[in-house]
Amino acid sequence: MKEQVVCKTSEIQPGEMMKSTFGKQNVLICRTPDGDFHAFMNQCIHQGAPLDKGMMCGATTESSEPGDYQYCHQGEILRCPWHGREFDIKNEGRMLANPDKKIPSFKVRVEDEDVIVYK
Amino acid sequence: MPKHQIPIIDTDIHERVQYEDILDRLEEPFRHYIANCHWIQEKHMPYTQPSVAGVDRADAKLPDGRPAGSDLPFMQEQLLDDIGHEAGILTSALDPSPSSMHGWHEMAAALATAYNDWQIETWLDKDERIYGSVHIAAQERDAAVKEIERVGPHPKMVQVLLPIDDIMWGDPYYHPIFEAAEKHNLMIGMHHNEPPVYYGKWPRYFIEWHTLIPTAHMKQITNLMFNGVFEKFPNLGLIMIEAGFTFIPHLMWKMDQQYRDLRHEVPWLKRKPSDIMREQVRFTTQPAEELTKKEFMSLIEQMGSDEMLCFSTDYPHWDFDAPDRALPNMDPELKQKIFADNAKNFYPKLPNPKEG
Ligand code: FES
Repeated sequence: MKEQVVCKTSEIQPGEMMKSTFGKQNVLICRTPDGDFHAFMNQCIHQGAPLDKGMMCGATTESSEPGDYQYCHQGEILRCPWHGREFDIKNEGRMLANPDKKIPSFKVRVEDEDVIVYK
Repeated sequence: MPKHQIPIIDTDIHERVQYEDILDRLEEPFRHYIANCHWIQEKHMPYTQPSVAGVDRADAKLPDGRPAGSDLPFMQEQLLDDIGHEAGILTSALDPSPSSMHGWHEMAAALATAYNDWQIETWLDKDERIYGSVHIAAQERDAAVKEIERVGPHPKMVQVLLPIDDIMWGDPYYHPIFEAAEKHNLMIGMHHNEPPVYYGKWPRYFIEWHTLIPTAHMKQITNLMFNGVFEKFPNLGLIMIEAGFTFIPHLMWKMDQQYRDLRHEVPWLKRKPSDIMREQVRFTTQPAEELTKKEFMSLIEQMGSDEMLCFSTDYPHWDFDAPDRALPNMDPELKQKIFADNAKNFYPKLPNPKEG
């Protein structure tokens, strides 16, 4: 399977996500607040949790100082439903605590109303 | 087809109760105080950071909105059937444990009784794979002993649960509880309550508290050890639930070394502490640190026994360990022990075909 329509653009509002399938793979389509679509494997790289049961939220950032939280990237961070590890949707699904690790991702393009995932 | 090749014994599953579930089993006047006078337990954790759904796995919340762990059919589907459990031991979330409640010990004892009845009817009698823990209000010692006498003989009750909080259970005052447990072939399961690690207070951050939970477990093992509980009750076993296992060698070495210097203070101890631990103390695996196979095998070697670890998931909590992912690969014999046989050999009331 090289490419496939996984959903319509109207099915996911900015800041929301949904699961779908790409061939035999379970995939997760995330739509960030800027309206962009991103597709990942719908399985956490830690212990395999279904990521669609997690949450898209923001994150406390590196520029926080002890006792003083800076919170941003609202809607761009995917948190796993189990151990809560955070993955940066806009940065190839990299884990915030260990950016060497990332959730496998797929390419996405939008044609008319169709969200198309491809390799 | 279950996911896991070895049918596992899961030594830590948290079923969840809400007061309304047990009200009809609660005696008066205690029912009245909950139903009409807004009584609730007073200890609550000041954090919600751990995960996306408080302290639970976000996907374990029930579709009808009830909290994770409230419903047997849902647990069967998501855990027992899916993974392929041979047996699972309930460790509850009557939060906090009755033994951990400050004040009004009669209420704590009544809640423990209602909880035990609810647990038996709603879980133990409904799924043959599920085994239970006797809840007591241990600070109300004599009532606790009575409760063990009352529900301890139930064929599926396998242990008495004590919280790890601010009471050290090895004190001779509590020994009648151990005596009653031993009499009924029940082990002692200890699970931390809150807040056991920071000198009785909460630290500023959850991550501090959660990192140091093993220290609270070490305190209780040390306390039971040197108060002579294991020597006085040689058929009693203690299982430490949910602190992991990487601290075990340290504690064994430390207690042995101290014993060589200070034996005269605790002359009732006849065996080396590390030998007592190998014989009578067990540990659930979760939350397992991410170890390589080499690191894991080296730890087992340092423990001097591959029979001390019993696999647990901690379902449905946020730091759940998946059986096929949490521990490193190991040879089938060791896997069989950690995922099933060690627990079967530890709990006298779990079916154990090997013993005939
Ligand atoms: S399974 Fe996702 S953080 Fe552990």
